Amino acid sequence: MISKLAISNKVSHQRLVLGAMAFLLLVLGVLSLSMGAFPIPLSKVMQVIFGEWMGSDGVSLQEKNVLLQIRLPRLLLAMLVGGALGIAGAALQGLFRNPLVEPGLIGVSSGSALFAVIFIVFGSSLPFLSALGKFGLVGFAFIGGLLNTFLVYRLSSQAGKTDISLLILAGVALNALAGALIGLSIFYADDAALRNFTFWSLGDVGGANWEKVLLMLGFSILPVGLIIGQHRALNALAIGESEAFHMGVDVQKTKLLILVGSALVVGTAVALTGTIGFVGLVVPHLLRILFGADHRLVIPGSFLAGAILLTMADLLARTIVAPAEMPIGIITAILGAPFFIWLLINVKQIRT
Amino acid sequence: MLIARNIQYLVQGRAIVNKVSLQLNPGELTAIVGPNGAGKSSLLKVLAGDYKAQAGEIIYNGKAIENHRPKDLAKIRAVMPQHSQLTFPFKVKEVVELGLLSLGMAGGEQLVKEVMIETQTWGFRDRLYGALSGGEKQRVQLARVLVQVWAGSDQPKFLLLDEPTSSMDIAHQHQVLHIASQLKRKKIAVLAVLHDLNMAAAYADQVILLKEGKVYQQGAVAEVMASQHLEHVFEHPILVRNGYDGMPHFIQSLPVHHQSHTFKIA
Repeated sequence: MISKLAISNKVSHQRLVLGAMAFLLLVLGVLSLSMGAFPIPLSKVMQVIFGEWMGSDGVSLQEKNVLLQIRLPRLLLAMLVGGALGIAGAALQGLFRNPLVEPGLIGVSSGSALFAVIFIVFGSSLPFLSALGKFGLVGFAFIGGLLNTFLVYRLSSQAGKTDISLLILAGVALNALAGALIGLSIFYADDAALRNFTFWSLGDVGGANWEKVLLMLGFSILPVGLIIGQHRALNALAIGESEAFHMGVDVQKTKLLILVGSALVVGTAVALTGTIGFVGLVVPHLLRILFGADHRLVIPGSFLAGAILLTMADLLARTIVAPAEMPIGIITAILGAPFFIWLLINVKQIRT
Repeated sequence: MLIARNIQYLVQGRAIVNKVSLQLNPGELTAIVGPNGAGKSSLLKVLAGDYKAQAGEIIYNGKAIENHRPKDLAKIRAVMPQHSQLTFPFKVKEVVELGLLSLGMAGGEQLVKEVMIETQTWGFRDRLYGALSGGEKQRVQLARVLVQVWAGSDQPKFLLLDEPTSSMDIAHQHQVLHIASQLKRKKIAVLAVLHDLNMAAAYADQVILLKEGKVYQQGAVAEVMASQHLEHVFEHPILVRNGYDGMPHFIQSLPVHHQSHTFKIA
């Protein structure tokens, strides 16, 4: 019954699903603003958000500051980063035609991490790095992510075809190499840089501020838009690269857009919040299992679901050990790893 | 029309397709037959634009293949590959709808339904593609490529089929080749790599006999599908009985130990 409905009104059904997810995200966001070590009643949250219209009677300056300077930017950063990881995961899985690909596997994260640690450790002593200024870390981590992805892709591609087992091997090899080089950089790090990098690598949206939110937003709008625009090409690619070409897809262009776009958003996300695992892997699967494989839904849906997942994870991170905070990367891994194991066991079923 | 002149496709210096020339005319069904490794699929892939020929030229409707953008090429030629696997849980109808990609979406719903009924795939449109049998998958892929060329057009279109019937039962094999021959009325030129010589003889207008990358014989069924040609190409005793009263040719391969006085490996 439901599946018949879905086929006859597929597009409106997809819009409904996306709308429901957006609504859920909104509700979760408002809840998340009110909860935490310093609880703020929902009515006051509304008053602060809608400011002028509802008046600010009874809202203390402290509550206002906590909301506007700490929680709201943190919430928005979590949403944007979760969305970025989700959509990049969905697009890369589609591009490589493999449900086990995630941004981490193809080297975006480790490449970004390597370049981030190089920037943190050697930034002050290398003039060309410090000359990059405020955007230096993000820009440099982005270049690292892109470079590593490109290497993985080149190593696994031959005559325009990507060998999936080679891809995974190349990803593992380059991740190991990046890990070793990160270790080497840490070996030369002083205490301050070490501390910096340790906090950075735990994966954490705690240091959010409006500047970071704007940076993430600025670096995501265009790539996310471009990736969403590739949904038809990704559907065609699901049958195969040459089949997609037969159907009129400029396969090379699609590859480039998705690789550059994913490296850009994930590189930025990793630079700003550290490595947060499993979102990019889990989210697209959840959507495919629940709503089917059509990328017209899976791609934008992965953005929303990634945002929902990370908002939830951040809420947990802030509340379960309050007033202390748990790094968000630990929460997503605790939720994600068992799901990944389940996925491995059921991969055959999911492929059909 | 599609014209290929002296195309040559080399892999590591070895000619897989060796100086092949052919012409596909709208309203004709051309069959490529030949033994394993003769270069049938490679020839099809070169014509489709998957592989780039190192020598020779391929011209689609008066314009060289390399001057067509993928999108424009998809409007005039569709290709059905030998095997297609899907990684993700797509439904049958979603797979067929992919054929609309190059057309834009207007009027797609009706077109998809028409083609799916024609290919007998409408009945399982809501099932997952991965759960189908091999023959059913092939029919779904056929439906997908038919959608691409089905709509009427002022310019000739081309349908390239790589062993479209390899996993099908006998009734569906005939069904598919019947559909392919019906397409002739739509100004579509059909090229099919076929394994079954009887199917080729029954449905083709033109037959291309390939051996070791070269065209051995090319022409009308009655000329090409002769015992001596087939025996030479396949290096196996083959008996051909000419059809009479509108019956197709009947081609039979003989057991290896069969002693035929006419059989000599040339």
